[in-house]
Order: sequence, then structure tokens, then C-alpha cells
Amino acid sequence: MRSGHYKESVPSLIVLSDSTAVWVWGGILVLAMAMAPYFLNAYLLSFLVLILITGTGALGLHVLTGCTGLISLGHVGFLLLGAYAYAVPVAKFGAPPLIGFLSAGVVPALVSIVVGVPSLRLKGLYLAITTLAFAFIISHVVLSMSWLTNGARGLPVMRPELLGIDFESDARFAHLCLVVAVATLFAVLNIQRSRVGRAFVAVRDNDIAARTMGINLQAYKLRAFMTSAFISGIAGALFGIYLSFVSVEGFPFLMSIEALAILIVGGLGSTAGVVLGTVLIVLLPEVARIALGMLGPQAEMLFSTAAHELRTVLYGLVIILFLRFEPRGLVGVWRDVKRLWVNWPLRH
Amino acid sequence: MSALLEIQGATKAFRGLVAVSDVSLSVERGEVCSVIGPNGAGKTTLFNLISGVLRPTSGRIVFDGKDMGRVPSHRFAAHGIGRTFQNLALFKHATVVENLLVGCHTSLRSGVFAGAVFFGRARREEIAAREQVEEIVEFLEIEELREKVVGTLSYGQQKRVELGRALACRPKLLLLDEMVSGMNQEETEDIARFILDIRDDYGISVLMIEHNMRIVMDISDRVHVLHFGQKIAEGAPAEIGRDDTVAAAYLGPATAKHPRRLADANR
Repeated sequence: MRSGHYKESVPSLIVLSDSTAVWVWGGILVLAMAMAPYFLNAYLLSFLVLILITGTGALGLHVLTGCTGLISLGHVGFLLLGAYAYAVPVAKFGAPPLIGFLSAGVVPALVSIVVGVPSLRLKGLYLAITTLAFAFIISHVVLSMSWLTNGARGLPVMRPELLGIDFESDARFAHLCLVVAVATLFAVLNIQRSRVGRAFVAVRDNDIAARTMGINLQAYKLRAFMTSAFISGIAGALFGIYLSFVSVEGFPFLMSIEALAILIVGGLGSTAGVVLGTVLIVLLPEVARIALGMLGPQAEMLFSTAAHELRTVLYGLVIILFLRFEPRGLVGVWRDVKRLWVNWPLRH
Repeated sequence: MSALLEIQGATKAFRGLVAVSDVSLSVERGEVCSVIGPNGAGKTTLFNLISGVLRPTSGRIVFDGKDMGRVPSHRFAAHGIGRTFQNLALFKHATVVENLLVGCHTSLRSGVFAGAVFFGRARREEIAAREQVEEIVEFLEIEELREKVVGTLSYGQQKRVELGRALACRPKLLLLDEMVSGMNQEETEDIARFILDIRDDYGISVLMIEHNMRIVMDISDRVHVLHFGQKIAEGAPAEIGRDDTVAAAYLGPATAKHPRRLADANR
């Protein structure tokens, strides 16, 4: 156990983590995920890929809602836009996938300015409703622009080939998702320890004081929207590739709720919480299915016929339970466990 | 050289209510000035005008030779105006160091992308900012609070962090809104010492709103008195203490016939 923090230079004060244990365990975890495709069957591997993609998307919302305090229900709109911004140039016009990924980030980021501008004046519930409307407007626009998007028929997308590497196989695609997720995680952590990330938190905690410190509120709220939309768009593109088919039905509004549930379950404002929340929320329906399976075949039948509805109920339930019993989220539980581990048998 | 801050006939009206009425005052370089006055005299409104939170209905605010009328609110810090708030306005979920680093915002440059990569210039910039913050932490003697989340600190400690955050802006003029209210004798004396050091060591001028007459009389070079939005007196602390109109504003007109020294009011 450590008895304190002894630093000898200023650069050592601004590192992401000063604990060797965190780096070692993090490295082991990433290595394990990189090896996992060779050991897991296709069914279990799909959960790993889902966790990585969902985690990337949730990090996008985390920048906006967790860090900057702007509640958005329009997350699914950015995911959908990202998926189409990838699929249209790549599947329809034969552009290289790298261009597709670039446009999957840039297009949502530009569109986010449109939804970001109302946010300059709106807060809380009103902003949530505006972004909710945005999500539905996006799906309507996509459906009506069928000359570009194929409308309700959707666009089939192939696994990409990037920088000479073919990501056709399941294992390779999992690796692609892993690289994107880890890169996004580091980018978000770095943003949080730099000028822009602190400005986001300042805007969230006290906007008048933030402005007095020289932070341009409008510019930083827009920046939060654009960063969030960029990351979400990339995640949307990956999800489209995972489904191998991009359509409006593939991106139900439930995804917005799912992302918010991840932030709340993990602990609002915490990046570690996003990771923990993602694992819990992605695996929750599966755990529930197994649990229902124990009750008998009829209960399991219910899950296969009403999967979407059951997920809705589950997300609602965990949001309520966490808000009531552990508002700090899984990160709060983790800190308690750590304190108990260090201090036991003392009480505090 | 002209005064650092010059307010010329500033008026702020909220609909019918005139909170600040035709107030003119100036703060010279290297001066500690106080603004005093009974509750509701318009002191905080005046501060909001100077720091760009509110805009004057009429009149001009000239800072360091520049008319601030057309400067956007968020640019006031970059021009050299730092302030603290009457009722704590810290970023309470962030740590002490993070709060102070937000104060460095205007002296840093990196954007979203540079921050995300955190390499080269962005990293060097963060190290330099952290060095500056460490200096302030040492100056304010809050070393042991560095990594504490601000919301968990005591009131006096939070006030000190707010002073540090304003200092991190590297201001030319520091506006302190009731810095020592709710502090005990020892904490008050610490703050008084800091204010004098800020002026002498860093060359920062200070304008403070204060109800604690001891600190006003002891450390200010000049005192401005507001009453119902109007400036009724200005002068050295000793003169203000003897001023009949000031005594009348604080204690009511009847007592003005038996003037008490204002400095005694807090004792």
C-alpha cells in the first residue's frame, strides 16, 4: 500500500496515471482482448465487439453529457449520421474506407453545429427535448433522401480494407474495433487533462465563473457538441459495418437511452465509469436472458419474442435503481471497494 | 500614465431599479482600493460591470487605457481583470489544481485535437501551466489540498482556492467580492497578508468589496463609499472614518449628530 504521492518534477504531475499497477493491468486487459478472437466462439466474440463499439459511442456522449453537462437524447442521430456518412461514399460511390471513416466523423461534427446552436440558450430538460427532436428529424431526412441513402431499403456495407490490411474476418474486425476504442479512450482522457477538457467541466459546474475565467461559453459548448458527434459518428460507422447493413431500423431510439444508461450506471462525469457502465449495460440483456431461462422455457420464449421491449424495461429499471441507490454509479462502488480493501479491518 | 481602471459615470438600471447610478471612480496602479456601503448599495453590481458579467446602461469603463464597452464578456480575463465571487463560484466537482488550471485558460492555446494527442506543444504548455499553479499553491499555503475535490473543502479553504484561481488569470486588477466574510480572525489576517503580498510581490492592483471594517481601514490605500447606487464619498481610510455622510449612510441620520468612528462599527 502506498502512503503518499511523492513527485520530483512537474511533468510527473500531469501523467495520466502515476500507478504502475494501472498501466500493467490495463496492458494485460488490452492484450487479452487482442487475443480473445482466437479463443472465443463467434457468439461470445460478438459481445466483445459490441462492448468496444458501444464503449466508443458512449465515450462520445460522455464528452457532451458527462463532461460538459449538456444532456442529449440525440445521440442516436449522430450514430446514424456517422453510419450513413460512411456507407454512402463507400458502398454507393466506391470511395476508399479511410475516406469513409473520415466523413463518418466530420459529417456528424458539422451537423452537430446545427443542433448545437439551440443549446447555447437551452439547458436541462429543454435541451434534452430539442436533441430528441433532432434524432427523429435525422431519421426522417435519411428516409426522404432516398436518391442518396436508398431510403428504407438501406445500404449494405462490406468489412473494410484499411492501409492494406483486410478486416474481413471476425477476428480482424474485432482488432479494428479494439484499436478505435483504445485510441478514443486515450483521446478523451487526454482532452480531460488539457485546456479544452477543463473548460468543458468549468462550463458544466459554473458557467458565469467560467466566462469570467476567459472561457467563451458558446464556442466551448459547440466544441463539445462537435467532439461528441465526431466520436459518435465513428462508432456509428463501426456499428453499421458490424451489422453489415446500414438502415434507419438498425439504429432505434433505444440507443440514445442505452448511452445515457451507460453514463448513469457508470457514474456521470467519470471516464472509468463509461468503461464499467458499457460492460454492464451490453451484457445485461444477455444475463437477463440466462436468468429468465432458468425460470423455464416459457420465460425464455418471452425474451425471443419481445427482446426490444424487455431491453427497454431493463434499461429503465437499472437507471432508476442506480439513481435511487448508488447515484455515484459503478465508479462509486469501485472506490468504496478499494477503500475497504486498503483500510480493512478499520472502518474508514 | 493614466489610472489602471477608470469608471466614468457608470449607470446600471434593471427596468425601474437603478442599482448603480452615475458612479465614477478610478483605481491607480499598485493600489489597494475598497468599495464599502450598506447592503443593497450596488457594490456587487458595480463589480459585475467591471468584470463584464453585466453591461452598463450608460457610462464608460476604461481599463488600462482601453474602452471595455465593445470587449466580449469572455475577453475581460485576457485583458487582465480577475475576480472572485461573493458566494463561491468554484467548479466544485473538480480538484483544487484543476480549478486553478482553469484560471490559466487565457494563457494557454491548445485546442481539442492538440489536447487529445497531448504531445509536443500541448504537453509543454500543460507543464508550464502546472508550474505556475504550483507557485500559486505555495503562495497561498494550500499544498495539502492540491488533489482534494473542491466541494469537500471548508468555506475558508474554498475562498482561498477562489483567490488562487483569480491569480492564475495573471490579472492586472484583482476584484475581491467580500473575501473575508464568514472567516474567523486568523483566516482574515491570512487573507489581509495575501492581499498586501499580491500588491507588493506581483504588482497587481486590488479592488475589494468588504464589510469587515478592520481590514478595510488597515490595508486599503483608498476607500470608495456607495449608498443606494450612488457614490457618496471617496478618500483615505482615516478620512472616510470621520466622514459624516458615511456615518449617516451606515447608522442612520440621527446618529450623525453624535458621530462614532466608523472603524469602531465592527468591534
